[in-house]
Amino acid sequence: MRASIGAELLVLRKRAATWILLGIWTLLAVFFAYVIPYALDPGEDPGGLADLLPSALAGTLAVGFPFFGGVFALMLGVFAVGSDFGWDTLKSRLTQGPGRLHVFAAKLAALGIVLVPYVLAVFVAGAVASLVIAGIEGAPADLPPAWLLVRAMAAGWLVLAAWAALGVLLGTLTRGTSLAIGVGILYALVVEGLVGALAASVGVLEPVGEVLLRADGYSLATALGASVADVGSNGPGSYSGPLGGTAQAVGLLVASVAAFAGLAALLLRRRDVV
Amino acid sequence: MLPAADVLRRRRRDARPMTDDPVIETSGLTKRYGEATLAVDDLALRVRRGEVYGFLGPNGAGKTTTLRMLLGLVRPTSGAAAVLGAPPGDPAGLARIGAMVETPGFYPYLSGRDNLRVLAGHAGVSRDRVETVLHDVGLTSRAGDRAAAYSLGMRQRLGVAAALLKDPELLVLDEPTNGLDPAGMAEMRAFIAGLGDRGVTVLLSSHLMPEVEQVSDRVGVIRDGVLIAEGTVDELRGRARLRVLAHPADEAARIVAALPGVAGVDRDGDALDVAADGTQAAAINAALVRAGIAVSELVPRRASLEDVFLQLTGGGAAA
Repeated sequence: MRASIGAELLVLRKRAATWILLGIWTLLAVFFAYVIPYALDPGEDPGGLADLLPSALAGTLAVGFPFFGGVFALMLGVFAVGSDFGWDTLKSRLTQGPGRLHVFAAKLAALGIVLVPYVLAVFVAGAVASLVIAGIEGAPADLPPAWLLVRAMAAGWLVLAAWAALGVLLGTLTRGTSLAIGVGILYALVVEGLVGALAASVGVLEPVGEVLLRADGYSLATALGASVADVGSNGPGSYSGPLGGTAQAVGLLVASVAAFAGLAALLLRRRDVV
Repeated sequence: MLPAADVLRRRRRDARPMTDDPVIETSGLTKRYGEATLAVDDLALRVRRGEVYGFLGPNGAGKTTTLRMLLGLVRPTSGAAAVLGAPPGDPAGLARIGAMVETPGFYPYLSGRDNLRVLAGHAGVSRDRVETVLHDVGLTSRAGDRAAAYSLGMRQRLGVAAALLKDPELLVLDEPTNGLDPAGMAEMRAFIAGLGDRGVTVLLSSHLMPEVEQVSDRVGVIRDGVLIAEGTVDELRGRARLRVLAHPADEAARIVAALPGVAGVDRDGDALDVAADGTQAAAINAALVRAGIAVSELVPRRASLEDVFLQLTGGGAAA
């Protein structure tokens, strides 16, 4: 299995799209978390500057993962699996001997590993941005405790993993990339956004709202220090629906990864590869 | 005299370590797509260890679907198959099979070498083996180039290299010379024949009759999903014959028919159609000359595999 994971890592590592997505995601994350809020003069809002300082790094950055980061992870998941159908590389791989589920597991593992730099890059860039702001404002430059940063990064990875797994499912379902990305973004914007918004006002939809990826991601973000107001004003990814506890959010995200990956594995196992 | 290709084929076949042990065996293998399309119908195929088996058929005959079923890429609707004693797609069986089905798929942004490394990782073979197979197919000098920059012929070579990674006992090749120039095609034919000589069983699907004719020990012809003919190339081509133009024809026919090694004589207009192979030509000529009969033409005649194929398939284009 190690050799298979190494092979899949080579495929992802040498693909330009992997690093282009990481670059854009990192830039957007820092831009929306630090550059725009700082440009809007946070001095008028005492809480605004505090969010931009290094001590608030975990919560401030965590807000970007459930939607913006998620969409990039979804695209990465789609590329990782959907392209194999278009390039016929799945067929080449399956004739080499390992079973279908072996190949799929190696691919998922490699995808999970590649998501690590997606988290690290954002946290490093965010730390630099917050330290620059602290320097300009003459504010304290103390970073959050290491345990909090590790928790925040683990939460960020889990949120991205759930979206990437959805991408894997869509890529497998549509046996390609274009339709899968289209459907994925539509889901992120319309289904998650609409149901999340309705869940806040329609009681019967509240349980549905709580299982959405965005709801679980924001539940983790608020547990890491993000304010509910920040979550509710997060541009197209804003969320004002019900939030759950940390344990529930982690459990639902893990279940989402398992459900998406399991369904994709089932499809891959049962379908003909033509 | 036998044509050179026949001599070479016989010599190779005699040298090959073939056994009756089946490497591929199917019974009642059927694949139906929806209600309307019957791609493969009740196929009984038996490929013996050590032989090069040519698999011929017109476009849409069901060849590629058959290969896909044998590799576990497509599930049969009914019937059974065993490849190297394992069910199709079984990892234990696939570990001993090399395959190139249709146009080989590669990551365009990876080099040829990296593409093989990816496959080697899944196949569980060493990186040294990657260099060996690149050398075997003559791609070492271009192995660092991105696969997107490869010509069709180079992609075919890379596909064959991928199929050879595991040093397989069974090689399944679908149109391996597709896109190769004449020199490359000749090289690939020699390469496949060499694999056969080393005891590798080869299932070769090709639309090029000379290719199949020169390297195959046995040939199967499939049409509309049904195996309509199977046998050695010689069996399919039928007995060799000689065309003799001599005068007077009736007297010539009487003399030739009485010679040993002649199975029969038919009249073909002014010529004689003699059921005898090329080795009898000198004896026939000598007998006629001794009898004072002038021989103006004496040529071996034999149906080519292409003639047989066109006859069997009703003239459909092979692919």
